[in-house]
Amino acid sequence: MVKKYIVPLVICLILFMALFAGCTQPSTTPAPPSEPKTGGEQEPEPPKPEKDKIVFGSVHSISGPLAIIEEAAFGPIRNLWFKDVNERGGIYVEEYGKKLPVELIEYDDKSDIGTMTRLLEKLILEDKVDFILPPTGTAMLYAAGPVANKHGYILPGMSGGATTIKEIIGGLPYFFSNLNFSDTQVPAFGELVSELGVKSAAVVFIEDLHGVEYSGAVVPEMVLRGVDVAFVKSIPQGIQDMSAIIKEAKAADVDAFLCLAYPDENILCVSQSMELGFNPKLMIFGPGVCYTFFKDIFGDEGVEGLMSWGAWNGKSTPESQELIDKIGVANVDWWGHNLYWAGMQMLEKSIEKAGTLDQSVVREIMATETFDTVLGPTYYDENRMLAAECHTGEVGQWQSGQFEVIGPKNKATAEPIYPKPPWPGQ
Amino acid sequence: MNKVAFTSRNLYLQVLLILVLILLVALPFYTSAYNIMLLCNILMYIIITVSWVLFSGPTGYISLASAAFFGVGIYTSAVLGQSLPLPLVIIIGGLFSFFLALLVGVITLRLRGMYFSIFTFGLVELVKHFLLWWEITKTNTRGRFVILVNYIHVFYIMLAIFLVLLLIAYLIRRSKYGLALQSIGEYEEAAAHIGINVTLLKVVTFAVSSFFIGTVGAVMATRWTYIDPVIAFDPFYSFMPVLMAIFGGMGQLYGPVIGAAIFAYLEEALITRFPYHYMLIFGIIMVVSILYLPEGLIGLLQKLWKIINSGRLAVYREKRQKRGTGREQENA
Repeated sequence: MVKKYIVPLVICLILFMALFAGCTQPSTTPAPPSEPKTGGEQEPEPPKPEKDKIVFGSVHSISGPLAIIEEAAFGPIRNLWFKDVNERGGIYVEEYGKKLPVELIEYDDKSDIGTMTRLLEKLILEDKVDFILPPTGTAMLYAAGPVANKHGYILPGMSGGATTIKEIIGGLPYFFSNLNFSDTQVPAFGELVSELGVKSAAVVFIEDLHGVEYSGAVVPEMVLRGVDVAFVKSIPQGIQDMSAIIKEAKAADVDAFLCLAYPDENILCVSQSMELGFNPKLMIFGPGVCYTFFKDIFGDEGVEGLMSWGAWNGKSTPESQELIDKIGVANVDWWGHNLYWAGMQMLEKSIEKAGTLDQSVVREIMATETFDTVLGPTYYDENRMLAAECHTGEVGQWQSGQFEVIGPKNKATAEPIYPKPPWPGQ
Repeated sequence: MNKVAFTSRNLYLQVLLILVLILLVALPFYTSAYNIMLLCNILMYIIITVSWVLFSGPTGYISLASAAFFGVGIYTSAVLGQSLPLPLVIIIGGLFSFFLALLVGVITLRLRGMYFSIFTFGLVELVKHFLLWWEITKTNTRGRFVILVNYIHVFYIMLAIFLVLLLIAYLIRRSKYGLALQSIGEYEEAAAHIGINVTLLKVVTFAVSSFFIGTVGAVMATRWTYIDPVIAFDPFYSFMPVLMAIFGGMGQLYGPVIGAAIFAYLEEALITRFPYHYMLIFGIIMVVSILYLPEGLIGLLQKLWKIINSGRLAVYREKRQKRGTGREQENA
């Protein structure tokens, strides 16, 4: 009889012990995000050992649904930057009195947020990397923000970002954002819509942070500009057939069709619009259309006149063409690549200027100084977001196989084509 | 003689169990932070898998709804985490999952086989898209932040949930309810005919197992920091427990525990060492283990145990020899 109850009793005992031990742990409420430490507050550190390289850690989506964004957006820039810096002999750090080459430790998060946060902490706590690089996409970036901040690591935000970041960035002093998004792009698009005389529009958006944000910004902007919005519809990620929505937009005979979605949905939308002969005067898409591979799928004529957020090209700044040559024109993302490159340049220059690998010192310089980058003079605003004046464009359009900047006016590299020419063969 | 051997073996097992548990409880005092986080993740998979086996093991109903219950827990944590203390959030997360399972169970547990599996999988998508629709059209929410919780705290909570789950799974297995569940799995009509309230039993067990998945979701969300419906209701968490249970073996209670632990550890070890090839290596391991370990790791361990323990090794060798000589004679 006694034997029968031994196992349950032991489990109860251990359970009690575990709970007791759990209760003696510090309170569950996390400490408020730490403010950046100033040098004076730090305890004196023992002399640093010789250092022969700067180790960067990155958790990004090598597999899973986000891999397509990783490969097209920040991935090529990250790899190029490591190659480029090492070819130049590394980053000069005064503290060590020499140029230190850079090394990357990378992990795959399988597009899973739990894996990403855990491995990011592994990089910081176990691998003790000197700097971290951001994960793939907006949600991942948002999840990485509090983790990086907790450990006092600079997180340079690359692919991803949304206006909601403004609500939380105050509490995340180590978070920097490099990409431009709806708050600067939608007003530029609004101006364009007024200038071109668009009368009616239909809006389709993807059911996630990106889609909700852009539709939430675009629809009021259109209404403000006196455009009649025929319908606003959401589509799930991974949708296989958009013909019903396209037919509805065709029946409504709208001037503009806005597809605020991701590469897969945008490719589907363009191919089904071609099949159904839906050719509105203006078509604008979310991420995907701004990648060179999109043009390679449909050809120069197929993408002629299609718009997307962005934007930059070889004419944007004197250094832009050099960057395009380095990346290779076939791999360019015409929305973010120059911004990501500028972000990496700013990080590099901040380390050089700081002369140390101390995060809080580098952060201070990054947040306050102006740097000379591929964008020209570049700096972060008071929210540590890349200042809007540094953007090379907000709206782009495919014209004769080139992605041209068409908005805002002062940054345009070409006049907009309106109405969009017919699809090839129609 | 046999009885003595049995008792002492049982005692060994109990001592071993206690030792393992003491080691686990004391873990934060002698290992790195990352190891604790990794262990939290392993415990998460163990709890989901054992919960899944609790219902699907004996009854043979393959549920693919784990991700839905897990997601409900995550969402509870995201919505209530800011205003309520963590223990309460965890219990509420579990209860939401419990009631969702109860509701779904009442509607669907009359379905059998394939139909049940497909329906439960559909549930994950249903809840996900309902929340998406709700947040986009009604609340205009764009993702939610979850308050970060100290990893040591998370670890002890996970350990506590794990032990409660183990205790409950053990008690159910040893009780008449466990037997009744087993009989449902073997022949449901016969079980109904001998007076078992088949539907009630199935629904309640399904809900109890979901409770634990919900609590784990609520705890783990605090380590994820940011979620939206697509992240919370990831179908991945429906398939993992099934794979892990098959990998470990479902015959014994400790099968899924060991299966999930090794599976989760292996995944992490591979992903950190071979970020570009881990899928390939993992795939090979899965194929090999399914081909050669039809009863899971535990089946293999039991076979080895039998061979070593009861001196069958000698008998086994003798048999092989005999077989060998027999064949040689035949060949001759």
